[in-house]
Amino acid sequence: MRRLWFVIINLSWLSLPLWAWAGGGGEKVTKLDHKVDLANLSGLNYLLASWYNDSIWLYALVATVLMGAVGLAIALVTDVILKMIGMEVSKIEHHE
Amino acid sequence: MGIFDIYLPIAGIHFNVLILLGIGFAVGVLGGFFGVGGAWVVTPALNIFGFNMSYAIGTDLAHIFGKSIVATAKHRKMGNVDVKLGLISIVGSVIGVEIGARMIMWLSAIGRSPLRPGGYAGPVVRYTYMVLLFGLGLYMLYDYLTKDKRAAAAAAKQAAAIRAGMMEPKKRFQLPPLMHFPASGITISLWTVTGVFFFTGWLSGFLGVGGGFIRMPALIYLIGCPTAIAVGTDLFSVLFTGAYGCFTYGVKGRVEIVAAVIMLIGASVGAQIGVTAVKYIRGYGIRLLFAIMILMAGTSVALKQFGVNTLAGIVVMGAALGMCLVIMVKLYNGFQKEKAEKAALALKEGITS
Repeated sequence: MRRLWFVIINLSWLSLPLWAWAGGGGEKVTKLDHKVDLANLSGLNYLLASWYNDSIWLYALVATVLMGAVGLAIALVTDVILKMIGMEVSKIEHHE
Repeated sequence: MGIFDIYLPIAGIHFNVLILLGIGFAVGVLGGFFGVGGAWVVTPALNIFGFNMSYAIGTDLAHIFGKSIVATAKHRKMGNVDVKLGLISIVGSVIGVEIGARMIMWLSAIGRSPLRPGGYAGPVVRYTYMVLLFGLGLYMLYDYLTKDKRAAAAAAKQAAAIRAGMMEPKKRFQLPPLMHFPASGITISLWTVTGVFFFTGWLSGFLGVGGGFIRMPALIYLIGCPTAIAVGTDLFSVLFTGAYGCFTYGVKGRVEIVAAVIMLIGASVGAQIGVTAVKYIRGYGIRLLFAIMILMAGTSVALKQFGVNTLAGIVVMGAALGMCLVIMVKLYNGFQKEKAEKAALALKEGITS
């Protein structure tokens, strides 16, 4: 029962901003009316700039997924490297 | 154009790769160690070196998202992430941020004049920011300096209570439902937790910052988390705010993705150093360094308020680099000490067998 109350209360909290936005608008998103000149670009720069020009939503999605994927990849690789050089970490004791 | 300069197509500028790696590395060390995103260092740094301010913020948020994944993964291995508490922090923060942001819009609307196009929002935010940074920094410094005295007083009080045969007084504000957080080792009222995160979220929405530097001390002083868990749990929350920030600024066309990836590479190396250093420094040591760092950040904001922008940038960059150096030296000393202890133990075991 306590768990159920916990879920209900928190879902209500979560929905509050939605009500607020529905009621009064909220801060307007100011998009840049800016197109990248593709003339002197090639390779990855060209690809990214094309996405940026064609669909800003796709660009935002690519940026978010790419940053997450690079972060995850680096976390895994550095973990292996640190283990190899003897600097791996394990659970620590918490002392103040 | 130097040999390390590259063209960043979205921002439309040439930028030195080494500067991007350097900024990323420095903020990675600080972020991993203090559990903060570090926007207050990266945004002015990118701006000083030639980024337009809106691109600086968007690019910074994108790299914060990637970096927080690296740092959170490592903190989790060390048992420093309270996932349950982190998830609740997001719930409370969402509402707080929304209300804080709406208050800013209201402040921008009142008192608007040709001389003051932004209304009262700018000065109110800057002064609140300064009061908060100095207040928090001085309190944490005071807390560090008086910790032994307070520990002795608490021990004496407990001993006196035991001698008198009295029970330890019940903690206040334990309004049901109570929640237990095994990772942090605390049991606390749901209302206290959501209230604290609502307040920190409101502050971050009001000040327009990620909120890591507010949430980390709040987790320690208001929720009662051990310092290392406060650092790891805060980074876990930063991961979500960073992802949202990356996407929303991406939609607004303000994320320079090439620069963000390069900074992320530097930040990932730095984060490894910062997170590992937590292992070798006691909780109160982390609090002391954090107090010094935010006092320097407060000084920088104060200088900016009085129009000394270059000096403000130098102060915040100098403080960040100096703190990185301190953390790296502490890590090196801790690692050497651990190595020596392991060698001594191996030697002792060899003699006894």
